[in-house]
Amino acid sequence: MSFEYHEPTSLAEAVDLGARFGADGRFLAGGTDLIIQIRRGKLRLRHVVGLHRVPGLDGIDANGSVTLGALVTHRALERHSAFQGRLRALVEGAEVVGGHQVRNVGTVGGNIVNASPAADVTPVLLTLDTTVTCAGRGGERTLPLDGFLVGPGQTALRPGELLTGLRFSALPGRSATAFLKAGRRKAMEISVVCVAARLTLDAAGERCAEVRIALGAVAPTTRRARAAERALEGRVPTPDALRAAGRLAAAESQPISDVRASARYRTLVVETLVTRALTRCLERIRDAAS
Amino acid sequence: MADRMRVVGKSLARVDAPGKVSGTAIYAADFALPGMLCGKVLRSTLPHARITRLDVTRAAALPGVRAVITAADVPDVRYGGGLKDETAFAKDKVRYMGQPVAAVAAATPEAAEAALAAIDVVYEPLPAVLDLEAALAPGAPLIHEAWESYTAIPILHREGNVCNRARIVAGDVERGFEEADRVFEHRFRTGMVHQGYTEPRAAVASWDSSGQVTVWSNTQLPFEVQNTLAEILQMPPSKIRVVVPGVGGGFGGKLRVGVEHFAAFLARKSGRPVRVATTSEEELTAAYPRQGSIVELKTGVTKDGRITAKAGRIWLDTGAFAGSGPGVASVATLVLAGPYKIPNLYLEGFAVYTNKTNCGSFRAPSGPQANFAVESQMDIIADALDLDPLEFRLRNIVREGDEGPTGQVLNGVGLEECLLKATAAIGWKDRRPGPGRGKGLACGWWTTTGGSSGVYVKINPDGTVALNTGAAEIGTAAITGAAQVLAEELGIDLTDISVVAADTFSTPFDFGAQGSRTAFAVGNACLAAAADLKRQIFALAAGQLGVEPDALTLADKHVAADGKRLSLADVARLSQQTGGGLIAHGTFIAPPTPYDTKRVEGHVYPAFHSPSFHAHAVDLSVDPQTGEVTIHKYVVAQDVGFAINPTYIEGQIEGGVAQGLGQTLSEEIIYEGGRVLNPNLTDYKMPTTLDVPRVESILVQHPSLVGPHGAKGVGEPPNIEPPAAVANAVAAATGVRITSLPITAEKIALGLVDARAGGA
Amino acid sequence: MTKVALTLTINGQRHEVLTEPHRTLLDVLRADLGLTGTKENCLEAECGVCTVLLDGRAVNACILLAAQCQGRQVLTIEGLGRDGQLHPLQQAFIDHGAVQCGYCIPAMILSAKAYLDEHPAPTEAHVREALAGNLCRCTGYQKIADAVLAAARELAHRR
Ligand SMILES: Cc1cc2nc3c(=O)[nH]c(=O)nc-3n(C[C@H](O)[C@H](O)[C@H](O)COP(=O)(O)OP(=O)(O)OC[C@H]3O[C@@H](n4cnc5c(N)ncnc54)[C@H](O)[C@@H]3O)c2cc1C
Repeated sequence: MSFEYHEPTSLAEAVDLGARFGADGRFLAGGTDLIIQIRRGKLRLRHVVGLHRVPGLDGIDANGSVTLGALVTHRALERHSAFQGRLRALVEGAEVVGGHQVRNVGTVGGNIVNASPAADVTPVLLTLDTTVTCAGRGGERTLPLDGFLVGPGQTALRPGELLTGLRFSALPGRSATAFLKAGRRKAMEISVVCVAARLTLDAAGERCAEVRIALGAVAPTTRRARAAERALEGRVPTPDALRAAGRLAAAESQPISDVRASARYRTLVVETLVTRALTRCLERIRDAAS
Repeated sequence: MADRMRVVGKSLARVDAPGKVSGTAIYAADFALPGMLCGKVLRSTLPHARITRLDVTRAAALPGVRAVITAADVPDVRYGGGLKDETAFAKDKVRYMGQPVAAVAAATPEAAEAALAAIDVVYEPLPAVLDLEAALAPGAPLIHEAWESYTAIPILHREGNVCNRARIVAGDVERGFEEADRVFEHRFRTGMVHQGYTEPRAAVASWDSSGQVTVWSNTQLPFEVQNTLAEILQMPPSKIRVVVPGVGGGFGGKLRVGVEHFAAFLARKSGRPVRVATTSEEELTAAYPRQGSIVELKTGVTKDGRITAKAGRIWLDTGAFAGSGPGVASVATLVLAGPYKIPNLYLEGFAVYTNKTNCGSFRAPSGPQANFAVESQMDIIADALDLDPLEFRLRNIVREGDEGPTGQVLNGVGLEECLLKATAAIGWKDRRPGPGRGKGLACGWWTTTGGSSGVYVKINPDGTVALNTGAAEIGTAAITGAAQVLAEELGIDLTDISVVAADTFSTPFDFGAQGSRTAFAVGNACLAAAADLKRQIFALAAGQLGVEPDALTLADKHVAADGKRLSLADVARLSQQTGGGLIAHGTFIAPPTPYDTKRVEGHVYPAFHSPSFHAHAVDLSVDPQTGEVTIHKYVVAQDVGFAINPTYIEGQIEGGVAQGLGQTLSEEIIYEGGRVLNPNLTDYKMPTTLDVPRVESILVQHPSLVGPHGAKGVGEPPNIEPPAAVANAVAAATGVRITSLPITAEKIALGLVDARAGGA
Repeated sequence: MTKVALTLTINGQRHEVLTEPHRTLLDVLRADLGLTGTKENCLEAECGVCTVLLDGRAVNACILLAAQCQGRQVLTIEGLGRDGQLHPLQQAFIDHGAVQCGYCIPAMILSAKAYLDEHPAPTEAHVREALAGNLCRCTGYQKIADAVLAAARELAHRR
């Protein structure tokens, strides 16, 4: 692993270096994915561009709609007071990433751009209809996160382009989120399956107005379970309906068998965790109302 | 008795703790010499293949590269313990993916990596033997075509891919089955697991101008490494000095030569000190893990729950070389018998070659594999007979004076007490306290390995003591335990003792930190040295004080008689002035354990010396959908004979259970097509702080006849029972019986799905 | 390969280091500065034996480029005790029998310190969660958790 290291101190400089190196370079955020990939020989880079001296990329703004800088760490997410309520799934996703050492430096931007299908924070962001902002020589562009993820390790980011931040709307009342993950150990686990869910009830508090379900580790990318979402929207979220949504989500997942688990088990866990995550959302909405 | 003791039996702090908490303790992985080069090993990329081309010229010419070696550069010898089948480098063919093919030494790790990449190797693949079934199939490819020509101890029974078959036959097993009301047959499987020490294996070698090599290594067995290096290097042992600076865990994985020989060869060729240390990938593909196994058990019982006969076979997948396999297969048969009185036995253990890494000894070698089968089946049978599993065990366990499977007479048998205390502590009466929750029980027995130990004990002129031992401290605090025995005997404090350890040139011989023997054997050697020192001290002091030596006592750092006192320091100074100082050589070898030689065949370990007995009980819940296991409570009642240092014995129990739970629930080296699929700590999953429950340790003390103060070996046993205890608890909680390790959430969940489908 | 000149502040002392950009803080600590109290094992941030504190936070030195530490405060185990006195965490690890082979212990102590600095009165569950990124193969963690809780009490007492 030998490369040149650069530390831009402004966004413009970072964009410039990114554009200059293109596919020969990569940005370094926490390095918890990148350095390991370089060391395993999966990436051979000429240039590494450290981002931590670029100002303004680690902010969290949660007044109204939420913006997160790409360099926001998992630690910052899990501790932010604005995420302890309706956005609780952000905390739940962030607080199970690795151990403290990894969460102290690993970033939300890295979690997205690394584009592991098993990423834990990415599915939560998918359920929030997050948009991502990228900066390149051509200027800035904003894209929906859904669609940004293209395949394992692949995103719509152009070579040399920088992810600067994310944005999603605040959730209306009668909304809640939940995140659940399954693995062999109770910590330091790459998800065998992870599931994020968001539920917004209608004004009467009876029917599902909006439902988002995102699945991790059961497809080439983190992905939404659209059939399950559609089946619930407009329905009363009875236990049976939530179980049916779990079954639909299982049916639309396309897991593989690998060293961590079989496809059959992953499908079973999707069904269980989707049902549980939705149930938890419902409980949270009710708890908040009472 | 313990209350009269001042030092032994007390939970005193270990002697090496301050250096370890402050980061000043030097481990082998930390050890460095000026000008030292970095050595790395090129390893086979195929499980079974002929080497058709091996050219290192390009690698040797790279900048910074100081030495490149292959089989052509080293003496053509086969080495090994009981069976000499191993070579330093693959010669004509490779037998597992990961086998050393060449090694390089270079100025930097980067240059060494570049040199490895520049070595030109071409392989011609051969049909590989990927598992036990394939190795045993008729017409299976032979992994060692010339196996018959290898040097081996004559006891071994070898045939093709089987490098030993050990057997115990007692009574008449067929008649035993006829006497039974019911006969149960089951098959179990266990996976290959790694010791998981946190310090990689590491060695630094340096040659001096007289042709002597010094190797600083984190081996558990410096004297064995010295002898094996002598064999590999074709040099007299007197030219090979092995020093153990510090060891970051071993658990049996650091018994055999692993990197030391490469460091020595590379250092000789380069003329510079060379360090070789393993990567995680090398650890998980080319180390000495625990053998995976298949176990078949057939057990006959009467209606009232008495075992009449047991036939059992265990096949251990020992990988491409025998390693510890022949011995482990022998030990396995004693574990298969279990701590039970069974009149008719037919037990066999097979060590089988496959194209995988060479397996070795992992804390209680064969214990978890065989005990998982035995103790799982005990519960299955108890269920079928409608007997409480505790009651079923109590009807069959060995008690004081009973015979072991090979006819040894058992002493200090505390098993019944272990079972009763463990079950009481777990709340056994309520075995299924709620839906998805269950309790499990397992028990077993184990040995205290023999082998000799020597110590030199020297009294310093200030009355403190230097304990010089050839045994390496690998973390267990066994040397602290031995020092406590010594301090007690000499009437001094533990803090008065400093330890000099594990240097094959300056410390006396020790059989090594293996087999739960260190505190036991070194402790006894300390007793012998103390007895000798006391004779010397009393003789000197008697003259000085004008009393009879017989009248003297040694206590509280003084010799005294008739109201007259002399400090130990004074006696030591006196001796320095007149007799070369106070020093004693204490030695110990465990007496042989008599057994019935007619009952065994191919057996290198026919009896368990000073056996220990233990019972584990666990209370856990299973998620009915995902199969995830949560352990609420874990209890171990272990008969330790005598607890020399209760805190560190608890430490052995807590750590052994944690490691055992790893093998039980999450760990496995997974091979596919001869390749390890999880050669990293991301996917080789050792338990974290959140996976291990609190463990309640109950120390039962039925003294052994031989150990210091009646102590028995304590280090290995806690690793044995977790798989079976958990399997039994999972079955109690869910009705699903998992017969293979690891017991993953996946296996349980899919078992539940299948049970529901079958039941519907 | 071009080298970079770095000024690293380690245990309060400034060190001038000239090194290749790909080398990690762990490489520099152990090989260049001889600070071997920070241990090396998996090199993939899984085992945690390389944990040091960077600006007070626990990080894995094995995946942190030395260049990233320019101008920041690094604390290693060698910098923990003061004037030959053990830190209460170090003393508690000894007193509670929490040390066996000891190879994971410097990192374990530093992870615990980072946590206690922010959470002076934790529960056992909190302590275990804080140490989940530090593997220990010897102890089963029980005496480690006990030691950290005892140190927390001792530190509170001293405040
Ligand atoms: C021990 C361990 C445990 C882990 N456990 C988990 C887990 O449980 N769950 C989980 O989801 N992940 C886990 N991870 C993976 C990793 O920590 C996360 O994905 C983390 O969020 C990555 O962030 P980072 O800042 O470290 O990314 P880096 O490694 O710095 O970067 C990752 C990739 O993203 C690119 N990149 C980063 N930031 C930007 C940017 N702003 N613009 C453009 N490109 C960018 C990099 O070039 C690189 O290709 C674990 C990692 C380790 C080492």
